[in-house]
Amino acid sequence: MSAETFTTSNDLDAINRLYRERGWSDGLPIVPPSVERVARMLAFSSLAPHHVIARLPPGFGEATVEQVAINAVMAGCDPEYLPILIAATKAVAETSFNIQAVEATTNPAAVWLILNGPIVQKLQINASFNCLGQGAWANATLGRAMRLILQNIGGAKPGEMDRATQGQPAKYTFCCAENESLSAWDPLHVERGFKAEQSTVTVVAAEGTLNMNTHSKQSEEMLRVFAQSMIHPTSNEYCHGGEPWLVLAPEHADILKAGGLTKAQVKQRLWELSKMPARDLSVKELLRAQASRRDEYGQIGPDTMLSIARDPSDIWFIVAGGPGTHTVYVPCFGNSRAVTQLIDMTHLNQLP
Amino acid sequence: MVDMITLYNPTAAQSKGSDVDSIYAPRFDTLQGKVLGFIDNAKPNFNHLIDDIAELMVARHGIARVIKRQKRAASVPAPEAVYAEMVEHCDLVITGSGD
Repeated sequence: MSAETFTTSNDLDAINRLYRERGWSDGLPIVPPSVERVARMLAFSSLAPHHVIARLPPGFGEATVEQVAINAVMAGCDPEYLPILIAATKAVAETSFNIQAVEATTNPAAVWLILNGPIVQKLQINASFNCLGQGAWANATLGRAMRLILQNIGGAKPGEMDRATQGQPAKYTFCCAENESLSAWDPLHVERGFKAEQSTVTVVAAEGTLNMNTHSKQSEEMLRVFAQSMIHPTSNEYCHGGEPWLVLAPEHADILKAGGLTKAQVKQRLWELSKMPARDLSVKELLRAQASRRDEYGQIGPDTMLSIARDPSDIWFIVAGGPGTHTVYVPCFGNSRAVTQLIDMTHLNQLP
Repeated sequence: MVDMITLYNPTAAQSKGSDVDSIYAPRFDTLQGKVLGFIDNAKPNFNHLIDDIAELMVARHGIARVIKRQKRAASVPAPEAVYAEMVEHCDLVITGSGD
């Protein structure tokens, strides 16, 4: 089905007023999705504009290529970003991502996009200084487009089907790339079964970011202080067995690598060091954990040592950022699993 | 002459006329003799709430039998086996969000 069009006065202020009144914006001014701008973006996909990528909960709106392009234009995306957003839309609709719950929950779950592969250089997606902050056009507009897609196509409007109690700033935009050239290990997409020369987007249901600043130069000590920072009794990850993520500073990654650790060993050690006695949970959360993790633990008593994730391999990290002693813990929704999707580079490879 | 522009509506129709359209089951004239299922969403105290509702449904509306099953957590769907059991045995099912 073709997206609906309408004709209006070509006045930026009036257009923004109209999109604001109709609840079509995220609260920030938009780029008007004109027929010409959307057509320029659609040139970056071989798929038919009416091709349905997915039906997005909670409203089960049809995410066609055209609808995705419209929202991407509004977010300020360059036309060549479209293949990323098609892949990301497909990724969030995977059952294991649990987008129905991620969008409708009272928790502050944002969708974090992580880019890997040659696309990062090609589109200048920031993986270095301030990669989770402001400053890079691709990062800012891609994350924003994802949110507009979820809101306008999926129907997750704040206070309506998006029931987030407060939400979080990352619900405006949350996108970065892995700093693959500074990583001591295989990049994320290779770890998740793709080839280094392929480009991928990974979607994560993220509940926030916690700065973990340590000047430690010893790998075991560094992992201990990370693990202790990740422990918190109000965490959804301990309640359900989650999928915690870290954005490792390149220099922290170097120290861990120099300590002789593989990625799997880092995960294993973090998993062991971050166990928390169930008694630290509130009584209500203990009841919830007992229901949610019975299949894993059997009966959970006050002395049960709860792990942050069901398995060490459920802990994930990327290496990203510039120089500095800061690693970021990204606590996740709990009942969601990240999904990595291949990006169709056909049209992007034709760019100079 | 006013300069005009053609723009897109960025929203998608929400499930109308689609394969996920809600299909309502036929409504009952009476609950007498019916089997009632409850899906407990595992939030604290929801089990007590549905215990009370079940008792009232039996006492006041003549529900013949009640089947209660608990999900692992509110944010995940119930297992397929629970849906299959409910479809096989229940005339109506109540689910919801308790806290």
